[in-house]
Amino acid sequence: MGSGSGPRGNSPAEESARDGSRKPGSRPGPEHTDAFGAGLAGLPLQARIWRRRALIVVLRVGRLVRTGVDRIFPGIRYLLHSLRRRWRRSLQFRTVLTTLLLCISSFAIVGAYLSNQIANNLFHEQLTQAESETRYNVKQVQDTFDGAQVTDQSSVITLVYDTLNAVEGKGSVIQRRYVFEAMPEQTKPRNRWVESRASDQLTISVIPPDLRAAVQDSGKEQFWASTEFPVGTEDRPGIAVGNKVTFNGTVYELYLIYDLNTAQQTLNEIQNVLWAGGAALILMIGAIAWYVTRNVVSPVSHAAAVSEKLAAGQLQERMVVKGEDEVARLGASFNHMAASLQEQITQLATLSQMQQRFVSDVSHELRTPLTTVRMAAEVLYDARNDFDPINKRSAELLYNQVERFQSLLADLLEISRFDAGVAMLDAEATDIVQLISHVMEGAAPVAEEYGSKMKLNAPEGSVVLEMDSRRIDRILRNLILNALEHGEGRAVNISVASNADAVAVTVRDHGIGMSPAEAARVFDRFWRADPARARTTGGSGLGLSIATEDTKLHNGWLQAWGNTGVGSNFRLTLPLKQGGTITKSPLPLEPADVGLGRPGDRSVLVLGRGATPAPMDSAPKDSAAAGNADAVARDSAAGASPAKNAEPAAAAAAGTPETARTGERS
Amino acid sequence: MKARILVVDDDEALAEMIGIVLRNDGFEPVFCADGGQALDVFRSSKPDLVLLDLMLPGTDGIEVCRQIRSESDVPIVMLTAKSDTSDVVRGLESGADDYVPKPFKPAELVARVRARLRPGDQKAPETLRIADITIDVAGHLVSRGDERISLTPLEFDLLVALARKPWQVFTRELLLEQVWGYRHAADTRLVNVHVQRLRSKIERDPEAPEVVMTVRGVGYKAGS
Repeated sequence: MGSGSGPRGNSPAEESARDGSRKPGSRPGPEHTDAFGAGLAGLPLQARIWRRRALIVVLRVGRLVRTGVDRIFPGIRYLLHSLRRRWRRSLQFRTVLTTLLLCISSFAIVGAYLSNQIANNLFHEQLTQAESETRYNVKQVQDTFDGAQVTDQSSVITLVYDTLNAVEGKGSVIQRRYVFEAMPEQTKPRNRWVESRASDQLTISVIPPDLRAAVQDSGKEQFWASTEFPVGTEDRPGIAVGNKVTFNGTVYELYLIYDLNTAQQTLNEIQNVLWAGGAALILMIGAIAWYVTRNVVSPVSHAAAVSEKLAAGQLQERMVVKGEDEVARLGASFNHMAASLQEQITQLATLSQMQQRFVSDVSHELRTPLTTVRMAAEVLYDARNDFDPINKRSAELLYNQVERFQSLLADLLEISRFDAGVAMLDAEATDIVQLISHVMEGAAPVAEEYGSKMKLNAPEGSVVLEMDSRRIDRILRNLILNALEHGEGRAVNISVASNADAVAVTVRDHGIGMSPAEAARVFDRFWRADPARARTTGGSGLGLSIATEDTKLHNGWLQAWGNTGVGSNFRLTLPLKQGGTITKSPLPLEPADVGLGRPGDRSVLVLGRGATPAPMDSAPKDSAAAGNADAVARDSAAGASPAKNAEPAAAAAAGTPETARTGERS
Repeated sequence: MKARILVVDDDEALAEMIGIVLRNDGFEPVFCADGGQALDVFRSSKPDLVLLDLMLPGTDGIEVCRQIRSESDVPIVMLTAKSDTSDVVRGLESGADDYVPKPFKPAELVARVRARLRPGDQKAPETLRIADITIDVAGHLVSRGDERISLTPLEFDLLVALARKPWQVFTRELLLEQVWGYRHAADTRLVNVHVQRLRSKIERDPEAPEVVMTVRGVGYKAGS
């Protein structure tokens, strides 16, 4: 308790403030050592026993606490968790709690200071009074003793007792207690009739030994010390003031003990009032903080709720605006924002609808005249042998270009259907091997034209999966025709394989191939590997973009691998079930026939487009190491084949940003 | 005798061009530019085949198709500028036998027309059975017991193709080739829609077919 330290505090300032009296020496803590000194001194065995007992008690308490914690731990954890959650999620809770904690700590500091000051002042007042009273009383006692006639024992005893009793003061309340003790080890002949005496059954043990020592060693000075003394059953704080008195040549120590109980009680009351006031203050501050933050936070949380609703699509949601303060301004600007957002979104939705209708209309409006033009062109073309050379050539050009125009228009309309988000998947369980055979049949005339052989490698015979066969047909036709077109008359290999959740089709050509940089761009709209070649081979430049969109609709992967001079490989991976996911493609993207020869020849580029994840299964290599190897590989390739000097360099330059965009390369 | 073909299309240039192509291939075209008058022209001209544009002023092409189908089994080929699934399927469900998406080649159009006009006169007297259905091929009659079932020529051809080889599973592509006369891959929705139409006529419960069975992942076969 704080009161204990207060009355006992002996600062150097106090010491110098007392005139004519000194504290008992400079030995520290005179009042603390007395209690234990006798109990523990020189008894190591008992100390060990006690230590062991203490250890046992500590262990038992520990176990008890642990089982208790184990039993209520889930509850505590839940409580802590919910508190932490509250702390994280509620600004109000956080503010109120912080305010409370800060208030409590600052109040504790102020309270401790106040209580200390009050205690000090009370004590000093009591001390000053005690010292002056003691000085007066001791003088009285000494005067009485000096003037006494030492005749017989009983009169001496009576005299001493009366004198000392007079010190206790008049009235029912004892004003001061005394301890009267003959100083030990006196060489002079002593008065043996009076040895020691104390009021109220006190003994000399209530006097701190330091004080006794100081009194015994000194001349005529007066000393004081804080102490505790028993009254009835309780121990009371007090001030002991010691002096020497002489009676009939014998030196006695006379200690007067002043009761500080009243002062202590006053102090306790003051402290109680302080703590109660503090608690009330803290509660009120908490309530105020709660109220104030609620006022500030509730519009904010209202705004949060409204913006969540807005984000969820309830565009007509608005904040309630009251008054003209900052919160109202926030609400007003929020509502303004919501209104313009709603306007924009509605406008966009209308635009999107208009776009869809536009696509549909253009589709119809353009196709009808185009059909007429096309039929007319074909009639002219069929009759071209009857024309003169100029008209004949014109008819041929007209026919070819109408054809090209038509395929371009078809692709554009298809792409815009994807962009408008109206493309729908019409999936049905179908055998993909059969579909591939059909596409190959359809592509046979083209293969013949290029002199290429198409080989189908489908060890499983048939693979049935849920797919939109019209779209898959379009993808495969595109891949196979591309392979024939760029295959330079060499064989085109088509492989099919499946695993538990996916089927893969690869179309591999051994033609001019493409650099990794080109492979990265091959799915871009209107992109052509070689701009000069585009015009002769035709095609809209949208084929692979449409294939990508078709694949995306199936939740599949479409990827390209290429290497200049070695050929290219396109891999289509589709989930077996509609809406399924692919974890690993059954076929590698990098064809097995490339081999692991010179590292400089190998450059795999894995592409993951759009929403499909960029898969890394085909060439799982340490990407950091691969990055380094990449540069080295390119250098060696450039050195090894001087004929292709320009190409790897260009690929490397263009490839750097591509690496970041498209994923892994080794 | 020249086959007469009714061309219902509001675009005069296209109709004229189609006329040129048809005449060139030995057909006799009749024209109608308005959906509302299509049925009257159809009744008066009695064509062997109808080429019908889906988007028409007046009455919608799909409605015209339904009207013609309600009183005649004459083959109907739609001309459609929209290749959206819903439009094509709607057209086929309203009774069209086939469709040609715009823009088409003259040869494509003529091939479609010829395929639908295929003479059915070489059929030898032959009686086929699937489940409890009896088919008189030469007489173009289909019946369950005493009850006669009326089928369009296309539906009849489809049923006969399946019934001739009850042990074989027909892929959609094979049916497209045999029944519709497509040599290259075409829209398999044609098969799906017509199988459904056929089932709705000949099955006791079209939800649990007994005559035309589905072989999952492959195609269709005749029931036993």
